[in-house]
Amino acid sequence: MTEGAWQTAALRIYAALFYLFLYVPILVLIVLSFNDSPAMGFPFMGFTTKWYSNVLAGGELVAAMTNSVLIGVVSAFIATALALLTSLGLRHRFLMKGVVFPIILIPIVMPGIVSGVLLLVYIGISGVPYGLWTAVLPAHITWVLPFAFLTLHPQISRFDYALEEAAMDLGAKPFEVFTRVLFPIIRPALIATLLFSFTISFDEFIRTLFVISVDRTVPIYLWVLIMDRVVPFLPAIGVVLMTISMLIAGAGFVLSQRSPSR
Amino acid sequence: MDAAKTSSIRGILLVLPSMLWLLVFAIIPIVVLLCMSTWTSTMFGIERTWDLKNYVTIVSDSVYATILLRTARIAVIATLLSLLFSYPLAMFLVSMKGRTRSLFLLLMFLPFWSSYVVRSFTWLPVLGRAGLINQTLMSLGIINEPIEWLVFNEGAVYVGLVYVYTLFMVLPIFLSLDRIDPQVLEAARDLGGKPYQVFMKVIWPLSLPGVWSGCVMVFLISVGAYVTPQLLGGTQGTMIGNVIATQFLNTNNWPLGSALSIVLIVMVAVLFAIVGRRLGLKQLFLGERA
Repeated sequence: MTEGAWQTAALRIYAALFYLFLYVPILVLIVLSFNDSPAMGFPFMGFTTKWYSNVLAGGELVAAMTNSVLIGVVSAFIATALALLTSLGLRHRFLMKGVVFPIILIPIVMPGIVSGVLLLVYIGISGVPYGLWTAVLPAHITWVLPFAFLTLHPQISRFDYALEEAAMDLGAKPFEVFTRVLFPIIRPALIATLLFSFTISFDEFIRTLFVISVDRTVPIYLWVLIMDRVVPFLPAIGVVLMTISMLIAGAGFVLSQRSPSR
Repeated sequence: MDAAKTSSIRGILLVLPSMLWLLVFAIIPIVVLLCMSTWTSTMFGIERTWDLKNYVTIVSDSVYATILLRTARIAVIATLLSLLFSYPLAMFLVSMKGRTRSLFLLLMFLPFWSSYVVRSFTWLPVLGRAGLINQTLMSLGIINEPIEWLVFNEGAVYVGLVYVYTLFMVLPIFLSLDRIDPQVLEAARDLGGKPYQVFMKVIWPLSLPGVWSGCVMVFLISVGAYVTPQLLGGTQGTMIGNVIATQFLNTNNWPLGSALSIVLIVMVAVLFAIVGRRLGLKQLFLGERA
């Protein structure tokens, strides 16, 4: 074999091992979710789907799921709207334009644990009650905003401004330009951004943990169960959560690939 | 009004909502945290003492110094391990073409579309006493007793951090490798460059923007980690994130917790000051060339 062929073979073997590392823990989780054993772990004691019926029968997961979906949808819409306005604004020239990008990135650059306690202290001091809509929603919008912006901004800055100018020259008002020219073109990118934003909110944990009260989101519900360490249906919950996130994000991925501006 | 001025006003009005939002929910909270870090927790609640006592405690008490050093060490090592494991995979992805490449990229993304709580937690049934590794080794007769040191220590934190955040390393490296013009590599080979020479003198330098971007992201996430060390680290793998959380959730010392958070923010700011001199933010986060 030539040196190049060795290199290719070595890379392929390495990639096989890497993907094994990536998927073995997930496969373990799936296998254990069907394991008929009161303790979480091996050996495999027989096949059962009772953990799934346990998970779905318990009202707690359904309640947590409802909270997560509501918060996810609302924060995805608000964050995407804010990101869209910002991306549109950045196509104009104005004073201090340079500060917009660094400010948008603050929530990403801030270490997760600090973002969590930041809002805990802030809300504690300002006297607003902790809870889903008063604290978790703002925390999620703040966290999702930079991701929505980073997804949307490249698509919009690539958009040919001449098309809008042409529409304006023909007498269209700015709002009409948006609804009739810009919006149809960026719609796939917007939908993709909404879906990605939703999954980021849906999976959010550390920024939620500190400001939540009695109404739990799904990751918090999962965390409480993990901390209790007595529940054999943990793998089943993990698999359910993973499936939901993957399906939604997968849809977002497919839509972003179809985006005509690519 | 002239067109430039209208355009400028329109621009400001459009970016204003998100800027105001972040002022209220990101910038002002940091100021509040800074204030809180100068107050003192007493038996009767929090006193607004406006002093640096909490910072003195952090510097003088060896417990905090140890944890801070360990956190920096874990974050640096996790970043380097992640780079070591991710770089060859990025090279593999770049060597793939068309549909195969899309498939492997999708397989790379798929696990990352689920919560990192789930992804950290999956290592417990792999590394634990009744986990995959121990039970496999025992059923093969290689060991008689489960190996205890697989989990609840610093090593398990490395496994967890590399696993949970490797996409943030693979992706930027893949993107910068993908941008290298194949003709450049061909020229290097035609001029007699051996594979390792081509790698060291051409591929590696050209991939540096992606390497930096990945390293910054992984370091950033690792240094503020809470879930992974909490689940897999045991007492030996405790990081600053866990200590900060304890101040708020258990010992109820908000001012000290705030001061520790400020120290963590400063650590991250120093990183950005160093790396930001080499690369712009846009390059780090959007992959644009500075």
